[in-house]
Amino acid sequence: MNRFKHYIYILSIVFAITSCSKPVEPIEISPEVFHASVDKVMEIQIHDIFSPPVASRVFVYPNIAAYEILAQKTQEMESLEGKIKELSAIPLPDSSMNINLELAAIIAHMELSKSLIFSEEKMEVLQDSLYADWKEKNEPEFNSAKTYAFEVINHIKQWMDNDNYNQTRTMPKFTVDTDDPSRWQPTPPSYMDGIEPHWNKIRTFVLDSAAQFKPNKHPEFSLEEGSKFHEELMDVYDVSMEITKKGDDSEEIKIAQFWDCNPFVSVTRGHFMFATKKISPGAHWIGIVKIASRNTNSNAAQTVNAYAKTSIAIADAFISCWDEKYRSNLIRPETLINQHLDPDWLPILQTPPFPEYTSGHSVVSGAASTALTAIFGDNFAFDDDTEVPYGLPVRSFKSFNLAAEEAAVSRLYGGIHYRAAIDEGLIQGRNIGNFVVNNLKMNFE
Amino acid sequence: MKKKIGLIFLLIFACADEGVDGNVKDTNAKAPFNNIPFEVSGLIFSNDLKDTGDLNIIEFLYYYNGGGVAIGDINNDGLDDIYLTANQKPDKLYLNLGSLKFKDISEEAGISQNSSWSTGVTMSDVNNDGLLDIYVCKVGKYKTLNSSNELYINKGNNKFEEQGEKYGLNFSGFSTQASFFDYDNDGDMDMYLMNHSIHTVYSYANSNTRTTKDELSGDRFFENIIVNGKSKFVDVTEEANIYSSALGYGLALATSDVNNDGFMDIYVGNDFHENDYLYINNGDKTFKESSTEYFNHTTRFTMGVDIADINNNGKLDIYSLDMMPYDSEIFLKSGGEDSDKINQIKNSFGFQQQYARNHLQLNQGDYFVDAALITETHATDWSWSPLLLDYNNDGLNDIFVTNGIYKRPNDLDYIKYLSTVDFANYNETKQDSLELKLIDLMPTQNLPNKLFTNKGNLSFESVLVDSKNKGTYSNGAAYSDLDNDGDLDIVVNNINENVTLLENTSENNYIKVKLRKGENEINTNGSKVYVYAGNEVYFKEQISVKGYLSSSTNDVHFGLGQKEQVDSVKVVWLDGTKSLNTSIEINTRVTIEKENTKDNDYNSLSKTNYEEFAFRHFENVFLDYEQDALAPENLSKEGPSAVHADFNGDELEDLFIGGGRNQKPALFFMNKDGSFEKSITDVFNLDSKYEDTDAISLDIDSDGDLDIYALSGGNDYPSGHPLLEDRVYINDGKGNFSKLESRMIRTNGSSVSSYDFDNDGLLDLFIGNRSVPGAYGLAPQSYILKNKGNNIFEIYAKARFGMITDSKWADLNNDGLVELVLAGDWMPITIMSFTDDGKFIDKTRDFGMGETNGMWNSIEIMDLNNDGNLDIIGGNVGLNFKWKASKERPVIMYLDDFDENEKLDQLIFYDFFGTYVPFASKDKLVEQMPYLRKKYTDYNSFVNVSGIGDLTEKAEDEIINIKYIYELRSMLYLNDGFTFSPLPLPKQAQLSTLEDMIIDNGNLIFTGNHKSYVTELGESSSNSGGILNFSDIDNITYESLKLPKAIRGRRIIKLKENQYLIISNNGRSYKTKQQKEGLRNE
Repeated sequence: MNRFKHYIYILSIVFAITSCSKPVEPIEISPEVFHASVDKVMEIQIHDIFSPPVASRVFVYPNIAAYEILAQKTQEMESLEGKIKELSAIPLPDSSMNINLELAAIIAHMELSKSLIFSEEKMEVLQDSLYADWKEKNEPEFNSAKTYAFEVINHIKQWMDNDNYNQTRTMPKFTVDTDDPSRWQPTPPSYMDGIEPHWNKIRTFVLDSAAQFKPNKHPEFSLEEGSKFHEELMDVYDVSMEITKKGDDSEEIKIAQFWDCNPFVSVTRGHFMFATKKISPGAHWIGIVKIASRNTNSNAAQTVNAYAKTSIAIADAFISCWDEKYRSNLIRPETLINQHLDPDWLPILQTPPFPEYTSGHSVVSGAASTALTAIFGDNFAFDDDTEVPYGLPVRSFKSFNLAAEEAAVSRLYGGIHYRAAIDEGLIQGRNIGNFVVNNLKMNFE
Repeated sequence: MKKKIGLIFLLIFACADEGVDGNVKDTNAKAPFNNIPFEVSGLIFSNDLKDTGDLNIIEFLYYYNGGGVAIGDINNDGLDDIYLTANQKPDKLYLNLGSLKFKDISEEAGISQNSSWSTGVTMSDVNNDGLLDIYVCKVGKYKTLNSSNELYINKGNNKFEEQGEKYGLNFSGFSTQASFFDYDNDGDMDMYLMNHSIHTVYSYANSNTRTTKDELSGDRFFENIIVNGKSKFVDVTEEANIYSSALGYGLALATSDVNNDGFMDIYVGNDFHENDYLYINNGDKTFKESSTEYFNHTTRFTMGVDIADINNNGKLDIYSLDMMPYDSEIFLKSGGEDSDKINQIKNSFGFQQQYARNHLQLNQGDYFVDAALITETHATDWSWSPLLLDYNNDGLNDIFVTNGIYKRPNDLDYIKYLSTVDFANYNETKQDSLELKLIDLMPTQNLPNKLFTNKGNLSFESVLVDSKNKGTYSNGAAYSDLDNDGDLDIVVNNINENVTLLENTSENNYIKVKLRKGENEINTNGSKVYVYAGNEVYFKEQISVKGYLSSSTNDVHFGLGQKEQVDSVKVVWLDGTKSLNTSIEINTRVTIEKENTKDNDYNSLSKTNYEEFAFRHFENVFLDYEQDALAPENLSKEGPSAVHADFNGDELEDLFIGGGRNQKPALFFMNKDGSFEKSITDVFNLDSKYEDTDAISLDIDSDGDLDIYALSGGNDYPSGHPLLEDRVYINDGKGNFSKLESRMIRTNGSSVSSYDFDNDGLLDLFIGNRSVPGAYGLAPQSYILKNKGNNIFEIYAKARFGMITDSKWADLNNDGLVELVLAGDWMPITIMSFTDDGKFIDKTRDFGMGETNGMWNSIEIMDLNNDGNLDIIGGNVGLNFKWKASKERPVIMYLDDFDENEKLDQLIFYDFFGTYVPFASKDKLVEQMPYLRKKYTDYNSFVNVSGIGDLTEKAEDEIINIKYIYELRSMLYLNDGFTFSPLPLPKQAQLSTLEDMIIDNGNLIFTGNHKSYVTELGESSSNSGGILNFSDIDNITYESLKLPKAIRGRRIIKLKENQYLIISNNGRSYKTKQQKEGLRNE
């Protein structure tokens, strides 16, 4: 019966569209459209296999573009011009045209996202259906919004193209000095090169420089028993042995898997190879933005504000974290444990292909959770279903900060980080988060 | 004249016949095989596979490895019979009824008709009773599989009895193939059992586990011990020094006396990163695994092997198979060679250099050199069974290869995109149904098997196996003259398709030899048979386990071409005794019995003849590919430099050798007895920070002694860097040197040479430069320096000639004015003429050298044909190289900053079996030029990239620089006084790069090999050095310098008559031993 009703409903829409020649109704943009665009970007990122730092860049520019457009209209949103490095004022909308700025913002978001991902046709699937719909509703309104959106996109692109991303593509790879026992080595099974060794040369957004929140030094490398470093190494090994004994249902393994957030885990069986793909750490927190926005019934402007602030914090967090990673160039626990303790030991999570210190997920989680707390408040309880599409369960958290702490410690359970990288990483991330929050006025809060 | 027309007509006719089946780029020539349908032959057999939850390509990595074929005469009726193995169906035994008709006698013969997973099969007389027995390998212990290897003892009258347990050969594990041979020359058959591993490669770190025994996967060796006249096999794996670990993914097995010492050796080809093993028999019931001593590199995913003499020089060569595609589309979307980084990691873990392409290892006596690239037999796709057989009876062994993988798990789209989207939670639930879906998505493509006709002189022609040219998934294969018509027929075991029976209809003459060791013994494995016919000697070893999972006929078959008679047939039995038969009728099968002569007929194949010289060159670690990711070669490993001259005025020629970065240059004074003594020289010790690439001696300060101009180089610092500065060392006449304090040129130098071009009595200099560091491909500035006297040189001329490697001065046109001749990469051999108005003019084209663009390493100038004109010899990359080049199909390099990030990109295209393909993989290209990620979002969209227009919007005329390679051969250019005409050096001199050469006694003495190419190209290491004799210019002869294998010779110096010093890059230096009398021709 229900289904039948639904059918009639669809029919009537079709009828309406075909019968009226030029229906003129205002186009309303709900926050769900922004969520849909962000979701699409996330899906394509997974397909195209974006590394975590590059994924953070794909999120942040479209969010800033959308934010800047909405800031033309919304009193509570203050333009980021002057607060974000080298960002100048976007072109003003033609006031005589009465441009639908929400519409322009979502168009800019999708179009800029499309230019940043690779598989454009996947973005077009979403765009085409929305554009067709809007055009039907009110073609002049759509056209003027689109025209304005592209003016803004061009402006943002010019700024974006000077962030040193292109130059860093062909900079020398990270040379592994095999004589230094403390230095990072490629890890099995793919032995990939260290990714993005020059990410610290990407222009920061709010931070003064990549090194602004340089973390404390990690415990000095030493394989001497009793040294702090050795203790932490043994801790990784012991924890992993202990939770492996407990089995897959142990809380620790569930936590490790929930926060894995490795975009490309290669699985090999003989000649047969495939990959399990997941969203990146940044994308997971972008997913939490969506949850929080929905739970608070945020409007489009509030939603875009939350996405923009959080993604700026995440992007700066990656630049800062990668700066430290290739400064300290620390060897992964897997390499040391295989060399010195147990040649057959496997970490519970696959070791990602870059140096150990500090933990990327810890820095990013620290920064993102701080931004989210500033926006939505502390003790904001939520059910995190971000990983459900990737076969993982829902986890519930009492606050963003507690979620961040769990994300951070998951790297120890996963066997891919020492304790210092987690603790110092979280501090580093929170420092970045606070700096971002204090420098970007968050008028909605 | 008439003959010529006929030939042309034939060629045209052949061309018109092109494309029988369309998509395969073979030549149209066809082999004389008829594919006999099973309805006619009665060989009704198909190795059908059906995925089950437990057994499929995901659960069992060797699921598609197929079945084998064994051929032998089980009832001694003169007709070879056939045993076929299946994986999920019963094996079958077929009795040969003659005329290619077969009868399935499996059941009445007593062959088990259960469906345990059979793999390799061997026919051999295990118990020495004159009847062939059958040994069948099994995947015996895996999941639902539970069986043991089977030994079918032949009871006569076509009846067999399974007695594996009784003989101690009922091994149960992961067996691939067994070979029976006599390892201790006691007359009975011992057995090598090759097993495979089934676990997944997770990391490379554990090469030390090679010595850890694995009960199921480790290889085994069994000695046959006869107690009370009864055979019993005893496991002597450990005593015989055979590795028996899970690291060995054994897929290929052949047993042969490769070093011709009368003891059988073993080649085991391992899949994945583990080395292949070459067990050399010590003759005392032990073996020594000697792969790294005998091979420069091997196949990586080794899947099949055969051993036979491929170039009729009386030595056994080895052909092993891998999986490199020959179809450009498959090539561009499949996983191929390791990246340079992964290659470096594997080497650092102690694995030998391996390449994922077929290897044709030519036996040099003390070691093997790979010649697969020069013969173009390196790419036959996912290949299983190689058979070296003379299919056309012309006296040369040809190559037959089976290939095909039912599902292609190395398809990169599959790995990165297809397999992942819906299956991210693979580890969680529903594995079986997910697996079936995953397998379903895996691409599948069948290909025809490959056949290469041996044309002699290391040249092969790819021909169609039969007129149908049908794609199959083929695994095991074996050959025999099944219809006794004097040519070798082939049987191929296929997956999901009936067995292929190829009837050979060759008409050439032949002779077939059956060996016997007395009344009842047919164990003749390892006997060598030599057929003498006129000037020809044909050589074969009687071994039956060859190819893959299979064993071929025990008869030894020789094609004789049109020869009407043979002079004699000599058999050297394994124990060294020989039988000689002089009255042999051709076109028959002759039986030769072992005679008990005493004389031992084994000659050591050892040929090397050298001693070490006390200088070792060391290179600093610099990974060019991390800076120039798209460059095909690394330029940071050049040098050393060497000068051979009298520095201390005692009329003995001393040596100055410049080292790598961080190595001190060395000075050696020659003693009267010809030995050298190292001198400690402070001034040189202070200059270790330079990378020395070339040096010359000349009298710079006009005091009558020889000073040194030392050229500095290196690709690791930008031009202008102080560490690239050249140095001048001034001699006080006694061999004491001081450094000239003066600002010198700071570039990546490569060649310095001197000549008084302006006839002012002072030697002037040419300073040739190798590269603009960080911008591979661009031509750096090179300089001509005029000597003004008083230690002053001024720049007389400069130009961007190219990436210079060598320079020579000579008056090529006898006009009294000198020419400067230059060699380098991506440039022609360039000739600059000095004119009477004091200019250097480019006369390359006028001399007819305009289209000689190559990867030139060295030049030498001499009048070789005594016509009064100086000829040019150019040392190039050679033909044993992955790239092929000609004027019509050059290698092309486009240089520009295509992605506008202020970094030069090198886009190289080359001819890949008839189609242009980009040299850099898609992964590499999109990493370097991110905008291509959008254009090629998957690999399938990339497979048709065939030119620069696919990679950039820039028009060709907007591109900064386009460079070509037309010539990869090392060449002789004969001068008629005005122009040069080309003549390639012999094939042996094309096996490797030719790095340096000197003229001595009218001979050209050269040293070769180059290991600085990126892994995708692979190292050039197949010729350390040789001597070319030009006394008959139409028939240049070659002789080896008998150096150690794979040295990277950079400088060759004549020490005295017929004695040479070879100084290597990043390695040891060697003196050849002086030969008593000039050349000794082989």
